[in-house]
Amino acid sequence: MTTAAPADHTTAAAVVAVPRSRRQIWSLGGGKGGIGKSLLAASLGYQLARTGRRVVLVDADLGGSNLHTCLGLEMPALTLGDFLQRRVEQIEDVLVETGVPGLRLVSGASDFLAAANIKHVQKVRILNRLRALDVDVVLLDLGAGSSFNIIDFFLISDVSLLTVIPEPTSIENSYRFIKSALYRRLRGVAGNEAVRQLIDSALDAKNEAGIRTPIDLLRVVAERHPDAEEALRREVAAFHPRFVVNQVRDEADQRVGHQLVAACARHLGVRASYAGYVPYEDAVWRAVRRRRLFMADAAESRAADHIRRLTGALLQGETLPLPWA
Amino acid sequence: MGLSGPPSDHYEALGLGPGATQDEIERAFRFLEGLYAEGALATYSLLEPDEASEARARVRAAYEALADPVRRQAYDAERRPPAGPETAPGPDDVAGVAAAAPAVEDAPQAIPPALPVPAGPVAGALPEPPVPRPAPAAPAAPLHVASHAHPRDRVVPLLLPEPVTGPTLRRFREERGVTLAEISTRTKIGVRFLEYLEADRHSDLPALVYLKGFLAEYARCLGLDVKRTVDSYLSRVRS
Repeated sequence: MTTAAPADHTTAAAVVAVPRSRRQIWSLGGGKGGIGKSLLAASLGYQLARTGRRVVLVDADLGGSNLHTCLGLEMPALTLGDFLQRRVEQIEDVLVETGVPGLRLVSGASDFLAAANIKHVQKVRILNRLRALDVDVVLLDLGAGSSFNIIDFFLISDVSLLTVIPEPTSIENSYRFIKSALYRRLRGVAGNEAVRQLIDSALDAKNEAGIRTPIDLLRVVAERHPDAEEALRREVAAFHPRFVVNQVRDEADQRVGHQLVAACARHLGVRASYAGYVPYEDAVWRAVRRRRLFMADAAESRAADHIRRLTGALLQGETLPLPWA
Repeated sequence: MGLSGPPSDHYEALGLGPGATQDEIERAFRFLEGLYAEGALATYSLLEPDEASEARARVRAAYEALADPVRRQAYDAERRPPAGPETAPGPDDVAGVAAAAPAVEDAPQAIPPALPVPAGPVAGALPEPPVPRPAPAAPAAPLHVASHAHPRDRVVPLLLPEPVTGPTLRRFREERGVTLAEISTRTKIGVRFLEYLEADRHSDLPALVYLKGFLAEYARCLGLDVKRTVDSYLSRVRS
């Protein structure tokens, strides 16, 4: 299955069949709404399926569940909510076909992750069932915001993608998202209450320790709780968000991804990478208007080409080389 | 300047290894100028205005020192740190310095692929990135012997029992009280890779050619016999 023939319009760079070692969970977050996350998720899912992977797209977009619209589908009768409420027994029961061979969809409950009362056990139940699906990639469209529910799904993913557009608000939100996610991760290994409190305080801009970044946090922990430092450092090192820059209009926009990576490394101490970018294009917008996926409708567009490259790069674990090249 | 630690290291400021070509220096500078430009998208919300201008100044100073081959040569000669673990700063120094200069905290990834990604225009022409000693004025003697100022310095490289494994290296390093952060600062190799090295996580390590350079630097830092250490470690990686 994994070695199925690539779609004919696929560029050579985009397709390299990988042996199916285990199923992977990919997630797409991004802090801000309206930056094309769902469209990106649908496109990646489409491309993965076109290159022979069996894919399940999961719409975890809070409030505005609309992945089905990106795929040109009506709202499915059964959603993740039905599974959560145990109206259906199996997560397989809420899987719907998308018309693209190999690509299926789990539609979102109208506000699945927003629901403040989604309990830890429910989260675990969803994750376990998703992991147990007999597919190659589970792709989670996380929607906007940086609530714990969203972050938890982001953190358990094998590939954690952060969508940004080259605009101040989006970039501010993505930094906030990165910090929230990292601190949540660190919290899990804090070891004792004092360290946990320190981590919690870090998100408050006016905290007494003057912590503004994860680098500050590690320094303060090293001073006050040297025993806890090593574990935190390890978590920071293992945290690896990947940027996808959407709506790229020129070379400067394209460079933003590299700048984000450099800024993360230098000023947050976070090892991010730049997975790829998608050009802004009218063809995409026209397809959206017609409720069609541009990958199918405008397969020759530059945007589609970049999605194919991006997918290939993600499968290979490649990142965009720095602009010295 | 240049000898006291990372913050004033011009290579670090540009996110480059000491083997960087003039072209790389040029491009890195232009990139970082953009990164720290006033109101730049990627940094305006992360840095206070004075931090940004400080960063700009550092980058510019680094560029000015390195862009001109003559000045660079002088800088390289001055910069070469006294090697050997005995003279390495204590862990506290390193932490303090790193904390005072966040930009360097994660130095090896400063501008990201200081490490294994061949970032140059011609991958094959790229020197092994982590080897920080291509100094034009390199003395003939091995570094760890030549530049030692202390009489107690070891001249005879140490041998570890074979086969040299990650855990052996780690134990040896820990016994000597050297931290990975120190080695990382000295060698420009990311702590992450050093951890992989010591954990024998061979599949996470970079391509052999780079790994070789990493190992050599690591060994040199600890005063180990470079060749024997590299060969022994690699024989296990290969098999």
